[in-house]
Amino acid sequence: MKLKKIIIKNFRSYYGENCFELSDGLTLVIGDNGDGKTTFFEALEWLFDTSKENKSESNVSEMRKHELGIGDSDIVSVSVQFEHGGEREICKSFRFERQTNGNILTRDFSFVGYTQFGSERKRVDGKNLLEACFDTVVRRYCLFKGERELNVFDNNTALKTLVDTFSGIKQFDQYVENTEWFEQESDKLVTRELKKDKKQEDTVKRLEADMSRVMRDISDTTRDIKTKEKAVSDFESRIRVLEENQDACENLQTIKSRIDSKRTELNRMKLHVDLDYNALLLDDMWILRSFPSILQEYQSKVSMLSKEERRMQKAEDERIAVEKGKKEALKEIQKLANDATPLPWNLPDKETMQEMIDDEVCKVCGRPAPKGSEPYEFMVRKLNEYLEHIRQESAAAESKEMDVKPLFENEYVAELHTRGIQMSGDVEKTISKLATKIDDRLQFVQMRKNDVEKISQELQEAEDAKLQLLIQNPSLTEEMLDKTFHDYKGLSESSKRAELDLKDLQHKLSDLEELKASIKEEQNKIEPSNGIVKIYQRVHLTLERIMKAFGEARTANITSFLNMLENEANFYLKKLNAGDFRGVIRIIRTVDGSARIALYSSNGTPITNPGGAQKTTMYMSVLFAISKITTLKRDEDYPLIFDAPTSSFGEFKEDVFYNIIDQIDKQCVIFTKDLLNFDRESGTRKLDYSKINSLSCTVYRIHKQDGYDEEDLSTIRTITEKIK
Amino acid sequence: MAEKLYDIWARRNPSWEKRYEDSVIKAFSDYGKGVTSLGSAKGKLFGAGYEVFIIAYFIGLYNNQRRTLIEDSTKIKSFGQPIQYWGNIDSVKGRKAYPKLREFIFTSLIAKTDFDFIALDKGMISNKKAVDALMTTMEEYANWGFHFMEDKLIDNPNYFYRETAFLELFLSFDSSSAAVEDDDEPDSLD
Repeated sequence: MKLKKIIIKNFRSYYGENCFELSDGLTLVIGDNGDGKTTFFEALEWLFDTSKENKSESNVSEMRKHELGIGDSDIVSVSVQFEHGGEREICKSFRFERQTNGNILTRDFSFVGYTQFGSERKRVDGKNLLEACFDTVVRRYCLFKGERELNVFDNNTALKTLVDTFSGIKQFDQYVENTEWFEQESDKLVTRELKKDKKQEDTVKRLEADMSRVMRDISDTTRDIKTKEKAVSDFESRIRVLEENQDACENLQTIKSRIDSKRTELNRMKLHVDLDYNALLLDDMWILRSFPSILQEYQSKVSMLSKEERRMQKAEDERIAVEKGKKEALKEIQKLANDATPLPWNLPDKETMQEMIDDEVCKVCGRPAPKGSEPYEFMVRKLNEYLEHIRQESAAAESKEMDVKPLFENEYVAELHTRGIQMSGDVEKTISKLATKIDDRLQFVQMRKNDVEKISQELQEAEDAKLQLLIQNPSLTEEMLDKTFHDYKGLSESSKRAELDLKDLQHKLSDLEELKASIKEEQNKIEPSNGIVKIYQRVHLTLERIMKAFGEARTANITSFLNMLENEANFYLKKLNAGDFRGVIRIIRTVDGSARIALYSSNGTPITNPGGAQKTTMYMSVLFAISKITTLKRDEDYPLIFDAPTSSFGEFKEDVFYNIIDQIDKQCVIFTKDLLNFDRESGTRKLDYSKINSLSCTVYRIHKQDGYDEEDLSTIRTITEKIK
Repeated sequence: MAEKLYDIWARRNPSWEKRYEDSVIKAFSDYGKGVTSLGSAKGKLFGAGYEVFIIAYFIGLYNNQRRTLIEDSTKIKSFGQPIQYWGNIDSVKGRKAYPKLREFIFTSLIAKTDFDFIALDKGMISNKKAVDALMTTMEEYANWGFHFMEDKLIDNPNYFYRETAFLELFLSFDSSSAAVEDDDEPDSLD
């Protein structure tokens, strides 16, 4: 089958009729995002969809619809002209019409085919023609949307379908089944006949019982193996997914731990920075920063007051001392001759004294004391002394209270002075150092503020790195990556354990198979006494060998098919990766009949996480290989149609890739946004002619018609232009 | 033993002019909110009203500027808490008590009040008169401080709402220990 021409009419952005003529080799349809590449691909998907009559209004060109007046109608159609044992065409279409209420009605769906016989063109059923020339199974391996769909082995039945379709092994299955049936029937017959033999009856029954037990065990073990293989394969695929994300996962963990540590650091720093300065003025008494001079003023004032009081007290004390001194002197004068102790001042009394003076006689000793004599003078002095004493006593009594009352009745200055003493020393020192302490603290805060700024910036950078990582891996979420990190260890352990269990089970199965073979051998060795049974036995033996041969042949066929596929795939892989590391493709079979494509280094190491381009070329190589095998088996070639298969390629890889595809003898249609360059002047992307001219293929450029309204779908029209 | 002058003083309650109640005290504190837990009203720079009084007092003190209170007693007010309770706020979240500050205020009042303490000790003047004199000093310094703050707020209502506004003000005062003499004349430049 070779595609010749594709005509798209009024299908979504393809307004009016748009014709693409395809070359036998590569045809490139180049367009930027939104230019209509995927629409083109989906137009083909719509054409090839044989499952339903889809005449959805959403496939109608908005621009064309917009133009329709009430009652006007037009047609949506996609048709493909191709070679397949002659010229063929299939065309799918429906009519759309604007009704009086303004709505669009779609009707007259048709799917027709045309075959050319000589000069005669014959109309046939489109669906039948399509299935006859390009059946569903083949289409499965011909149309690919994006990079993701390239892996054709992504489901369990893919390998079986592939083998069934392309290897011719399917017909073989019937023979295998038949030989198995013959073997079973002949076995039953031999056993039944042997049981009738009295001599062998016990042996036969024992062997039969042994055999049935072994068969049961084999069946159980096989079931266990299947379960275990499924588990191993599940673990492997989950681990594979995890491994694909391992780098991203590790990066994320590193970034997250950096974010955590920065956050902690930031919070710690903020504690230093977030100060309530107003509270500090009071609580930490920062308000006393300028207090030293006032405290000093207080100290000198209080000290001066204290000094003044002490001075006054001293003067008072002196005055009292003087008074006291006078008394002492008086006593001195009163001293008697021979230092005799005088009588108390009140003896004799005043009246007696006055009488003796008046009588001029000392009535104590009885001697006369005439006026002017010494005894007379003594008596007069004694009387005066008496009177003075009385006077002094009364004066003393009068001033007694004044003498007891201290100069200072309060001690407030002393209180203030004590306070002053308490405040000197440590308190004064603390207050005088407050200014330095505050300055140091503020300087410290400023430094921490700088730290906060720096850390905030680093935190922002880490957050940005995290965001970038997640943007770069749009299919991954943070939760998935976190889970991956935690799951990986557990999964690897579980996987290893399951593999060990599987090995044990496989050993057990092979032991059981050996046991089964030895029972069989023993059964075959039984010597029947009846000659006809001996013949039965030999026939059974022969049928058993035939069965084994067919079984082994089937396995060998599948293996050889897969080997061929592998070889072909590696042939294309080598071409597509010319001059680059490529590894070796292996198609690995699993017990459930499915397969997966894996890349290995030639030394046998699996390449667990191939890059995007590596993976894409690996899958494409397998597709080319399948296509080649298809061609061999069916004597018919089929086109490969890819929508944006190279989105993970670098620019260099793109060039090499298109050059190689260009050289491969295979019809390919590739929709791509590669080979466009950004034009600074116009701000748009334009064709890279230097690269395009080096290709020999057909190139179409599709783009949106200029002057469209970004918000109005009915202004969008895809313009197609054949470049070469 | 006779009661200490400090204790008599601490039982007193300074007066201030009502005109600063809204413009300054309530603007900066929870005064009049009827709350006992200080700083509960968010956005206030201080808790109790007396904290604003302390700030005002120190502003007046460090500027060595007094302002006599208005004579009309109906335009005068005082706080509910006597001085002896000022600063006992360690139950308030994020704050700590500062009872010592009362003693420093007292010492500054003694330093700055012109009063015959000798005559007081001699019993020639009553201690009530002494404490009255201290309170007058305190009220006049604070009154000047309130006036200063109000003045700043008239020019710029947000003047004190920078976190470091008050701090910067107190940092601007001289912190050396040389006693400030009112009549200090500049040294001759000769």
